[in-house]
Amino acid sequence: MESKFNKLNIDGTEYLTEIPEGSLKAFKGMPDLSEVRAFIPGSIVDILASEGDTVKPGDVLLLLEAMKMHNEICPGISGIVSKIHVSKGDTVKKDQLLMEISRF
Amino acid sequence: MSIMKSVNDFLARLSGKLKGGGEIAIEKQKKKGKHTARERIEDLLLDHGSFLETDLFVEHSVKNFGMDRKELAGDGVITGFGKVSNRSVAVFAQDFTVAGGSLGKAHAKKITKVMDAAGEAHIPLIGINDSGGARIQEGVESLCGYGEIFYRNTRMSGIIPQISVILGPCAGGAVYSPALTDFVFVVNKISNMFITGPQVIKTVLGEEVTQEELGGAATQTSVTGNAHFYAESEAEAFSTLKKLLSFLPASSNEKPPVYRAVPPVNPLGDDVIPDDRKEAYCVKDLIRGIVDASDFLEVHERWARNIVVGFARLDGKSIGIIANQPRVLAGVLDVNASDKAARFIRFCDSFNIPLLTMVDTPGYLPGTDQEHAGVIRHGAKLLYAYSEATVPKMTLIMRKAYGGAYIAMCSRHLGATFVASWPSGEIAVMGPEGAANIIYRREIAEADDPDAFRQEKVNEYEEKFSNPYVAAKKGYIDIIIKSSMTRDTFIKALSVADSFEIGHKHGNIPL
Repeated sequence: MESKFNKLNIDGTEYLTEIPEGSLKAFKGMPDLSEVRAFIPGSIVDILASEGDTVKPGDVLLLLEAMKMHNEICPGISGIVSKIHVSKGDTVKKDQLLMEISRF
Repeated sequence: MSIMKSVNDFLARLSGKLKGGGEIAIEKQKKKGKHTARERIEDLLLDHGSFLETDLFVEHSVKNFGMDRKELAGDGVITGFGKVSNRSVAVFAQDFTVAGGSLGKAHAKKITKVMDAAGEAHIPLIGINDSGGARIQEGVESLCGYGEIFYRNTRMSGIIPQISVILGPCAGGAVYSPALTDFVFVVNKISNMFITGPQVIKTVLGEEVTQEELGGAATQTSVTGNAHFYAESEAEAFSTLKKLLSFLPASSNEKPPVYRAVPPVNPLGDDVIPDDRKEAYCVKDLIRGIVDASDFLEVHERWARNIVVGFARLDGKSIGIIANQPRVLAGVLDVNASDKAARFIRFCDSFNIPLLTMVDTPGYLPGTDQEHAGVIRHGAKLLYAYSEATVPKMTLIMRKAYGGAYIAMCSRHLGATFVASWPSGEIAVMGPEGAANIIYRREIAEADDPDAFRQEKVNEYEEKFSNPYVAAKKGYIDIIIKSSMTRDTFIKALSVADSFEIGHKHGNIPL
């Protein structure tokens, strides 16, 4: 459990202290709502939207089957479906990009 | 039947029950480096010969899936009462050798019965968990069993101390009874706790993780903070548990037992912390220089190490210590440190254990990660816990007591009953460097020699505020003492507060 002392700046003062791994995480940015991603791994059962469609939150873009459930995948913003990255029957990983929505 | 015949019949039945799951199952248990449930209770936990077993002859009444032909000794759990250091406790131990220690209706009923008895008798409850989980053949009845245990864990919280020892698998819903209790012990290579196991995680998320990585003893004590005490062996876990009990009262209706006062091995001198406020030291060394026999039982030793909490005695009386740890993350407050300290404070308040707070903190840990993790919500728990507590609240300011962290660390303003500071105490909104940078931002930028000007202003601020006298003038600090006087001073302060009111105040909700 011993580790090296490093500098930690609090309000302009640099303290010499142990900094456990993972205790200072960098900010990764806010999630990009124009990207529709798989929140769970599974397979694409159906695609209900087409490229060029106008969509809004609440509309169902596609059905993702995971843990024996059909999950309705909806957009986080209103806009136009600019790109569909998957086809019916595809198996997708967690966080895989499924569709892109461009804002009006 | 003649009397002797009935006695012999009884002895035959008894010896069958006492064998648990039988020799093969016991051998398997031993191969894993584990003790049997009965050994854990009679040999490792209780005073020799003190066990009073109940419900050994309880049987399940399930008819489905061939269960009617299965006789399960004690229905997979051993329950009863006994003594630890001559003080009564209630205990249950799941027996993995009997149907994998699986929990069915009768099994759960034995546990809730001993829980109810512990509540009535106002004595601590110790649960030893070693179970494959719900007994699937019993369907909703086993879920009902878990629910009724959780209900009692919660209703008895803050009334009797509840301690869980995880000595085998504890997965799915089963994890929540220990999680509701006050302290959880785990043992390396024996304990496993998780909601969903590695197999499910692999199927759903495609992640490969071992049981040990996911929810072993190291993970539960250093990553999640779900468990409070880590041990290398079952014997070590029980020995620490007995020590823990020595600091606690039997219930919220009592004060903890008082022992003979023993001075610390290495009492504090007058030069115990580094001159430079930027330099670290280990606060545990200072704790040991103050408390009886230098004996400090740390809780959550491996998690949120930037704050140290645990039990010790002062003049023979139990106290709960909360101390910033400058050695780790400069002793900042953050999400985990706030949760850890707040729950400990609420436990102590529930069980009439006075608090000693030792302050040396530069403030809160900055960063998006902390803000987004809800440091506002978590930090508020610490303020709540201190303000709520009605046990004597004694505070020692050792060095830095800056900003919001000064207020949070049991300041006079949150109802501290006694506040002392060493001459090295610095009560200010922030460190002198930061303060000078903000107050003289423009002047520093416009100065001919900005660095020299900044240093001048840093020195000025340091002179004005980096001391305990401003706060002492206002009466926010009661006394300024040399560090060598710390033990004597707090013994006196504790004695003044000795007749504080006791009784049930609140539960100890997991935070």
